[in-house]
Amino acid sequence: MSSFRVVLGFELKEYFRSKGFMITTFLIAIIAVVGLSIPRFIDLGFNRSEEGSSSREFVTDNSRVIIYDRMGYLPPDELLQAYSNFQYAGSEKEVEEAVSEGSADKGFVITGPTSFKSYIYNADMFADEGAQIGRLLSYGKARKYASENNIDFEQFKQTLNPEISSESVILGKDTRGNYWYCYALVIIIFMMIIMYGQMIATSVTSEKSNRSVEVLVTTTNPNSLLFGKVIAGAIASLFQMSVILCAAVLTYRVNREAWGGLLDMFLNIPLRVLGIFLLFGLFGYLFYAFIYGAIGALVSRTEDISRSASGVMMVIMVVYFATLFQLSNPDGIVIKVLSFLPISSYSAMFARVALGTVTLVEVIVSFAVLLISVFLAGFLAAKIYRMGTLRYGNPIKLGVALKTIRRAKKQAKKLAKEQAKEGIETANEDREER
Amino acid sequence: MLLEVKDLVKSFGDTEVLHGISFSAESGTALGLLGRNGAGKTTTIRILMDVFRADSGEITLDGNPFSAGDHWIGYLPEERGLYPKKKVCEQMVYLARLRGIHKTKAMENVDYWLDRLEISEYKNEKLEKLSKGNQQKVQLAATLVANPEIVILDEPFSGLDPVNAQLLKDVLNEMIAEGKIVIFSSHQMPLVEEFCDDIVILNHGDVVVSGRLKDIKKEYGENRLILSSDNYSMPELRKVLESQMSDIVKIDKEKKNFFVLEQKPKVTRERILGRLLNSSVKIEKFGVFEPSLSDIFVAKAGDEYE
Repeated sequence: MSSFRVVLGFELKEYFRSKGFMITTFLIAIIAVVGLSIPRFIDLGFNRSEEGSSSREFVTDNSRVIIYDRMGYLPPDELLQAYSNFQYAGSEKEVEEAVSEGSADKGFVITGPTSFKSYIYNADMFADEGAQIGRLLSYGKARKYASENNIDFEQFKQTLNPEISSESVILGKDTRGNYWYCYALVIIIFMMIIMYGQMIATSVTSEKSNRSVEVLVTTTNPNSLLFGKVIAGAIASLFQMSVILCAAVLTYRVNREAWGGLLDMFLNIPLRVLGIFLLFGLFGYLFYAFIYGAIGALVSRTEDISRSASGVMMVIMVVYFATLFQLSNPDGIVIKVLSFLPISSYSAMFARVALGTVTLVEVIVSFAVLLISVFLAGFLAAKIYRMGTLRYGNPIKLGVALKTIRRAKKQAKKLAKEQAKEGIETANEDREER
Repeated sequence: MLLEVKDLVKSFGDTEVLHGISFSAESGTALGLLGRNGAGKTTTIRILMDVFRADSGEITLDGNPFSAGDHWIGYLPEERGLYPKKKVCEQMVYLARLRGIHKTKAMENVDYWLDRLEISEYKNEKLEKLSKGNQQKVQLAATLVANPEIVILDEPFSGLDPVNAQLLKDVLNEMIAEGKIVIFSSHQMPLVEEFCDDIVILNHGDVVVSGRLKDIKKEYGENRLILSSDNYSMPELRKVLESQMSDIVKIDKEKKNFFVLEQKPKVTRERILGRLLNSSVKIEKFGVFEPSLSDIFVAKAGDEYE
C-alpha cells in the first residue's frame, strides 16, 4: 500500500508539474469562461423573445430586405417592426436583381392579399424566410376585415388568439427535461475516456520506452506501479475536467440572464441522478483507464499505442452510439443489457435511472459487476505490465499476452510442487540418516 | 548469508539457454560472473532478480527459498534506464522510497551516494543533460541508494573511464568489507581479478569454472612453467624445445616473448631446469606460471577461437 502511495504521489506530481498539462487545463477553462461570457457583451439574440414578446407583435429581423408590394397589402407599421432594414422596390425585376447582386439578403414580391413570392440567393437549411411575411399578410388582412366590419381590432385579435396559460404536473419522469443533460453527461464521459485513455497508456508505456521498467519491477510490486500510474492519470484528468466544468458552470450562472436561460436544461440535474452518474461514471472511467493501462503495457513505444488501442476504441464508440440512440427508449431491452455490462453500464445505467424505470437491486447488481470488473482489469493490466517487462519491439497481441501469463502461472505452480516434493524427500532422507 | 543457486534451467521457446547453473555467493565476498556474450550471465541475474522465472532449479538464502522481493537488493540491470526528463535527486528519492525508506532518510542517502560517486553537482539537473558516464554513475547511485544487503550488478564497469572504474571498485570493496553479498558480471578481467574472491565462468549456458579464484589459478597454473631465452628467437626456441625436450615438456602457449610449458607427468621442475642448463639455451626467464584471469577465461570460454 505504501509503495502504491509513493507511485501515486510521484505520478501526480509529474502531471501537476507538467507545463503542458496545466496550461491546457487553464487555457480550456479560460476559453469556456470567455465563450460563455460573450452573450453578456454581444447580443446573440438568446434573450430576445423575453424582451419583445410582451409589447411587440413581430420579432425584428435586421437583415436587408427588399419588398415589391404593388397593392400595399402589408401593414406599414408592423412591416417596420418586422424588418428594420427594408426598402420598397418598383418592380419584381428590381427585387430579383437586388438579391442576385447581393445588395439585399432577401426579397419578397406580394402577389395578392394572401400570396407572395420570395427571392433568396442561397437557401438556408433551417431558416423559414416566408413565415414572417406570411404573418404580416394575415395580420394586414385581419385588420382590414375588422375595419371593414367596424370591429375593434384589439378585441378581435384577442378573441382569435387568446393567451392560454398552462401548467403540467409530471407524476413519473420528465423524460423531455432529463434527456438533454443525459445526452451531455454521456458525451462528457465518452470524451474523458477517449481523451485521457491515451494519456494514461502513454504514461505506462514511457517506462518501457526509457528502459526504467526493469529497475521498477525489481524494486516494487507491479500492482502498486500500475494502479498508482493509472489512478494518478485518472485523478489528473478528473481535476482537469472539474476545473473546466466548474469554470463553465460558474460563468454560465453569472451570465444566465444574457443567455436567456438557454442552457438551464443541462444544469437542472436531480441529485439522485447526479449521484448515480458520478458513481458509475467514475468507475466506468476507471475501468477503461485500466484497459488503456494494459494497452500501454503491451507496447514499448508510445507511437504504437493508437494501433493497439483501436479495438477498445471501437467498443467505446459502439457503446457510445448505442446508448445515445437508446436514450429515447430507456426501458428497452438493448439499454437494459447495456446497463449490466461493465463496458457500457457507466452510461447506460444512469440513463435508465434518469429516463426509465429501474429498481435499486438492478443498480446494485450493475455496480457490483462494474466494481469487480475494474479490479480485474487492474490486476490483469498489472500482470501484462509485469509480463511485458523485457519484451521490446513489436506490440504484443492481447491473446499472446494472456497465453503467456497462463503459461507462467502453470509453470510457477509446477515448480512450487517440485520444490515441495524435493523438500519432503530431503526431510525424509535427513530423518533416515538420523 | 549464503546465497546458493542450484541447477537453474531456462529455455526461451525451444532454445535452452541455461543447462543447470549452480554456484554460491557468501557475505563479505564478491562473486564475479564471467562469460562471453550470450553465455547466460544476464539471464542468470534476471532469474535471481525474479524478472524471469526458471523452468527448474532452486535459489536459497541460508537454506531458505530466496525471493528477490523479500530482500533489499541493489540491482543494476544490463538495460540501463531511468527517467531522462526528471531531476537526478527526484528519481533517486523515488526509487529509495519504493524500497520502503522514509523520505528524509532517502534524501540523506541520495546526498551521500551522489557525494560518494562525485556527482553532487548534478543533483538538481535533469538526467538527460548529463554525459553518458555520469548517467551511468547516477544509475549506480540509484542502485545503492537504499543501502541494500545484496548487490547485483550486470556489467557495472561498462561505460566508465579508468578513474571512475577505480571509484566503483573502491565502492564495491567497501560493500564487501561491510559484509554484503556482491555479485556482478563483467568482461573486464583485470578489474574482476583485483577484488573478486570467487568466480563463475559460464559458457553456452553451462558453468565451466566455479570456485575460489586463488584455487582456480593455482589449479590452472599447476605443472606449468614459463621460459624465455637470451640467445634464441621465439621460433628458434620452439624448435629446440620440440626437438630436444619433448619428452619432459609440452608447449602449452606462446605468449609475446615467452613460452608457457606444460610439465609431462612425473617430471620435476628441477629435472627440466637441469636439462635446460645442459642445453644450448641461455635462460632469460624460468619460473612457475601464474595464470591471469584472462588466461583462464580464454582457456575455458574461448573454445571458438581455438
